[in-house]
Amino acid sequence: MTAAQSGRRAATVEYEHVSKSYAPARLRRGAPGAVNDLSLAVPAGKICVLVGPSGCGKTTSLKMVNRLIEPTGGRILIDGVDVARRDATELRREIGYVIQQVGLFPHQTVGANVAVVPRLLGWPAARQRERAEELLALVGLDPALYRDRYPAQLSGGERQRVGVARALAADPPVMLMDEPFGAVDPIVRERLQNELLRLQAELAKTILFVTHDIDEAIKMGDLVAVMQVGGHLAQFAPPAEILAAPASEFVADFVGADRGLKRLSLTRVGELALQPVVTARVGDPAGEARARTFADPFPYLLLLDPGDHPIGWINQHQVPASGTLDASLATPMSPLLDRRTTLKDALSMMLDADVQTGIVVDRAGRLRGVLTVEAIAAALRPGADPGGINAGAAGAGG
Amino acid sequence: MIDWTWLAAHLGVIAYRTGQHVYLAGIGVGVGFAISFALALVAARYRALYPPISALAGILYTIPSLALFAALISITGFSVVTAEVPLVMYTLVILVRNIVAGLDGVPREVLEAADGMGHTRRQRLWRVELPLALPLIVAGLRLATVSTIGLVTITGTISDAFGGLGYFILDGYHRGSFPTEMYAGAVPSIVLALAADFLFVRLQRRITPWARARALEATSP
Repeated sequence: MTAAQSGRRAATVEYEHVSKSYAPARLRRGAPGAVNDLSLAVPAGKICVLVGPSGCGKTTSLKMVNRLIEPTGGRILIDGVDVARRDATELRREIGYVIQQVGLFPHQTVGANVAVVPRLLGWPAARQRERAEELLALVGLDPALYRDRYPAQLSGGERQRVGVARALAADPPVMLMDEPFGAVDPIVRERLQNELLRLQAELAKTILFVTHDIDEAIKMGDLVAVMQVGGHLAQFAPPAEILAAPASEFVADFVGADRGLKRLSLTRVGELALQPVVTARVGDPAGEARARTFADPFPYLLLLDPGDHPIGWINQHQVPASGTLDASLATPMSPLLDRRTTLKDALSMMLDADVQTGIVVDRAGRLRGVLTVEAIAAALRPGADPGGINAGAAGAGG
Repeated sequence: MIDWTWLAAHLGVIAYRTGQHVYLAGIGVGVGFAISFALALVAARYRALYPPISALAGILYTIPSLALFAALISITGFSVVTAEVPLVMYTLVILVRNIVAGLDGVPREVLEAADGMGHTRRQRLWRVELPLALPLIVAGLRLATVSTIGLVTITGTISDAFGGLGYFILDGYHRGSFPTEMYAGAVPSIVLALAADFLFVRLQRRITPWARARALEATSP
């Protein structure tokens, strides 16, 4: 059974007027955040991020799904079934659970840790072992190398990978992740985030993900639920909508003054209509190229090699009137972007290189078009539909 | 100084008393562990009961054994029960506290993960909490065993039928300090204690390979 075969099993999760209040005495002792009339529905196979400041009830909301915390009002449905009607231990075995401190069992090997839920479910030993190895491979840990190690022998990032593998072991339709990457350094966090997104593209689980980091929420969420202290749901929407149209001042404050910049990381270069540019190949007649570049408002000619790979820019005034074009005429290039680059990274590269224009290439390095700073700014304009942007630069195409 | 002829003539009885010593200490630690284990589980489950249980074990520890023998002989006579009651009693304070400390030492996040993955209470106890408490439990057993091996000697004050190797110490003393006989009691009893200590250290390493993995990790660069 491969991950792809076993996966793609997801369930809807619905909160219906869910509340959790604590007695005043418990609140003084630092009870977790209360939740006030939370209603939201997470479609099957989506990542829903619960985000908010500490004490906003996001973790409480998460733990009510697997009944580690019982609500004082309302109900939670998984695929339409009220979790309160389920046996708590059985329910939990069908829900993957990942926590910030990972909580691997120190006395068991990595292999045994991953197989915890299959063992609880009474799978045959051989199948438990097989599944553990499959999942270790899935999260990028070589089973032969890691299976027999103990958690104490792993790095923080490796531990959290094992934690994710363990949560996926019994192929649960729903995963709960409570600040799963909060305890690792930023570089490892970014890598783990990307790996989870890669896994999710393959497995399509329904994931509830708690974080206090709005950037992580925007990156990870198909849907983002912004919560505010007191357990109120402030806004529930896709990340782009949260950034473009915050529902309240609280949400606007929480996402930060740089929400425009944050939107840049949600859009990739490939989603924008690229602008054409005047090009010529090495060895082409210079006079003809010069005529074309003067006919275009953009004052540069992009020189390509015979395989359509960009070599560099030539100022239109420096294009010779006769002879052929030579690579030595070209000045250093703008940053090379590909269609997967986020607008944020693209803009950053362009600022670093002190240019207004980035060259977009495909996987083979061949020219696809150019992207200007203005086009990026246009994409951020309120109401702008990134896909529909076409700066409409006139001129001959490359 | 040492009367080798006496020793040679008494090898059989020394062996018998050594066996008795192991037997009396074994029952003491065995029964003591069974009682402590039950008490510790109760204390771990119902936290409010831990202070009284721990205090009671502490008080029992302070009762002088001779006074206890005097009181017990009128109830249980010159039986092995009379000999074992104080031995068992003195193990409780060490064992209960170590078992509870072991259970308390299980990290919170491990318990949360265990619950979140769907362990029943019993599964969590046997598969997660007790294995993780093992180093402290075994440490408690080691201490209790070594101290019980020392204490078996006093059971000789009940009657000559008990005492294990302590019989020789008391008898040698009563004969007006006969050093050879006292050595015949003291030396094997020390050897027994050292052997028990060694065996428990080995046992602990054997059953907690993960703790060694951690130690290795801590020393490697």
